Amino acid sequence: MNPPLAHIVDDDEAIRDALTWLLRTRNVASRAWSSAEEFLAAWQPDFHGCVVLDIRMREMSGLECFDVLLERGNNMPVIFLTGHGDVPMAVGALKKGAFDFLEKPFDDNALVDVVIRAMESDARRTASQEAQATMSSRLAQLTPREIEVMHLVLTGKFNKVIADELNISMRTVEVHRSRVFEKMGVRSAVELAQLLAPGRD
Amino acid sequence: MILDPLPLPAPSPPPSWYWSLPYAAVALFVATMAALLWLTHRQDAEEQRATLINDVLWMEQNLGFQFERNNSHLTQLGTELLKNAPLTPTTEARLRQALDPESGLIRILWLNGNGDVKGAQPPYTDSHLVGETGGTFPSSSAYRLSRSMGRPVYSDAYAVIENQTQFEVHVPIFEGGRYQGSVVGVYSLNNMISRQVPWWFSERYRVSVDNSLGVEIAAKSRVSPLSGLSYEIPFDPPGHGLTLNVTAYKSEVRWIPLLLMGSLGVLAGAIVWSLWQLRRHMQRRQAAEQALRAEHAFRKAMEDSLNTGMRARDLQGRITYVNPAFCRMVGWSAEELVGLLPPMPYWAPEALERTLTVHEMVLGGHAPPQGIEIRLMRKNGERFDALLIEAPLIDSEGRHIGWMGSMVDVTEQKNAQELARQQQERLQATARLVTMGEMASTLAHELNQPLAAISSYNTGCINMIGNGDMSPRELTGILEKIGKQAQRAGQIIRRVHAFVRRSEPKCEPVDLNAILREAVGLVEPDAERRGVNIHQDLADALPPVAADPVMIEQVAVNLIRNGMDAMADAPRAQRNLQLVTRLQDDMLILSVADRGKGIAPEVAEKLFAPFFTTKEEGMGMGLNICRSIAELHRGRLSFEENPGGGTIFYFSLPVLP
Repeated sequence: MNPPLAHIVDDDEAIRDALTWLLRTRNVASRAWSSAEEFLAAWQPDFHGCVVLDIRMREMSGLECFDVLLERGNNMPVIFLTGHGDVPMAVGALKKGAFDFLEKPFDDNALVDVVIRAMESDARRTASQEAQATMSSRLAQLTPREIEVMHLVLTGKFNKVIADELNISMRTVEVHRSRVFEKMGVRSAVELAQLLAPGRD
Repeated sequence: MILDPLPLPAPSPPPSWYWSLPYAAVALFVATMAALLWLTHRQDAEEQRATLINDVLWMEQNLGFQFERNNSHLTQLGTELLKNAPLTPTTEARLRQALDPESGLIRILWLNGNGDVKGAQPPYTDSHLVGETGGTFPSSSAYRLSRSMGRPVYSDAYAVIENQTQFEVHVPIFEGGRYQGSVVGVYSLNNMISRQVPWWFSERYRVSVDNSLGVEIAAKSRVSPLSGLSYEIPFDPPGHGLTLNVTAYKSEVRWIPLLLMGSLGVLAGAIVWSLWQLRRHMQRRQAAEQALRAEHAFRKAMEDSLNTGMRARDLQGRITYVNPAFCRMVGWSAEELVGLLPPMPYWAPEALERTLTVHEMVLGGHAPPQGIEIRLMRKNGERFDALLIEAPLIDSEGRHIGWMGSMVDVTEQKNAQELARQQQERLQATARLVTMGEMASTLAHELNQPLAAISSYNTGCINMIGNGDMSPRELTGILEKIGKQAQRAGQIIRRVHAFVRRSEPKCEPVDLNAILREAVGLVEPDAERRGVNIHQDLADALPPVAADPVMIEQVAVNLIRNGMDAMADAPRAQRNLQLVTRLQDDMLILSVADRGKGIAPEVAEKLFAPFFTTKEEGMGMGLNICRSIAELHRGRLSFEENPGGGTIFYFSLPVLP
């Protein structure tokens, strides 16, 4: 898995170098790309962190690059750097889902702050995605009867009531219940409810 | 109006029988006259015939009387002649009297009771006798008849020599109831006719006697008559089938009716002919009128459809005609305008002098053929510009009676031109603005890059120093990088400067006054539109200055425009712009003085700053450029308050050494 990085895309070498160094002074790992084409060529779905994109570049512009990223299903937050007069374009990009934009000349530490926020947001999103994936794989292990039992458990019914509703013995209900807890990796009905709460929306 | 309108609508054409009416009347008249004449003629003939009959009857009666008289003579004579005694002188005298040629008797015989001839006067010879149809002479049949009847009896007519015809009358004589004998009177028919018919009768009629076979046996004249008017009655006595034929020589010709008839015919003919001529004339005239009416309608439609105003004036300048387009243009109706003398109500008061000059020019016949543009006024006070083209008006007899002028409203055209010019200017200004904006944007981006890098390095350094883990070596490297970026920024600035330096002035010796006049020529239309008067007070014989004429002109135009802009809200009378050139201490000074609001102190501070403007559409570069140009020429641009209100700008240039 690729480590989270701040991907700096700018055609000006001095800017790239300065930003890389600036981020390093705040302990943010970064990688610089000299053009949008170069970055897109290297891009992979499991890139993490964030993208710092200069709008005005010689070849492909930052906005075009952003459109391509959206098409490819990129999840990383994108921060735009704009010059004077590019603000309306940047606003348009924000509406399409960009994380933020900063107008040049910008307060450098403010930029770093935004980058850190974006990377944290990305990390959170990655974590929740992983939890979701774990839960999905666990739910997949349950038999239909176990899922039925689990739903009734989550409504807070006693084993006896569940046994009556499903026309099975209490003993069987207990077996199913313990299997569900085991497969879902929880010890109690409360833990199970907590685990499934966000996923049940 | 010069063109008298024809009576409209056109009179309806007369019905088809209209024209045959006079002919019918003439025909009726002639027929009536002919009938009258014929009646008269008939009456005449009747009258003639009546006269003839009268005359004939008179004649017959006359002859009858003669016969009666002769018979009574013969009776009286018979008594004496038949006495067996010698004839007394009295008897002889009476015999002679009876044989008077007037009586018609040519011979008297007296017979005794046995029918023998006792005597005759004139003496009787047989040689006269050619033949007697009835028998012997004297006619024995007549003798016997008269003796038996006891009254005079006439014998048949018989021819004798010399183509004469005779007849006899036998008168029986009784005495005391006893037949004594007869007296026979011999008549010569021919004599009788010629003697007994009076002259006036024979003058008018041919008198002849026909026998029972219809053969003419005696006639008064040998000339045969021409006329067929004749009358025939039996000639009795003597009877025996004789007829008396009276024929008028000629019927009386009555000239007056004939003449009347003839002249009537001629007159009727003349009337018909003149009617026909009149009709032809009328038809021609009607056709001409129709053509004229059509032409008039055509012209009127043409005039009405025109968008060009037309008005005619007589030689005194009085309006005699205006078309609808002209009325629409000026707003006054034709009734109000026709008859007016100058000055016309549609002359704009402010341009009265010039309009009057143009008017005089037109009346003098000196109007330019390509037309004159004048400022006119509508009824509602709105002003408009019109192009006036005048042409002399000539009447049908070739006399010059006035002027016909056509007028085209060129206000919209002028407005459109002005609008186009303004739009063009705005477009250019926008283009300049776009170019400048583009340049500024590029420059900003270019400069932003190194500056942003420097800023980032700088912040990084501060961060590092704050962290406290900064090695001097690392710091040196970063500071070097910062220096490099600063140099890069400097290079960009130098590049821009080099670009600007390319527009150095191209100096040459120039005449400031000439440039100024050119500049005024450029802004004059604008000034006229805005109602600004430009007064020029240019010093004579100014020395030349070394300058770029295009740039100097740009400065002059700019200052003049600024001055006019400053006076946009000033009252019209106050909009005066004063241009003065002077030579002062080896410097040529141009001053541009306006009478506007003046310049507030807070504005004065920033007046020459770039991108500072007080105008909505200004770029704020005008005065800035002017000052740059002044400095390029080692001159100065300054301003001060105008003592009379407004501002005076001074532009000075050094004179060539």
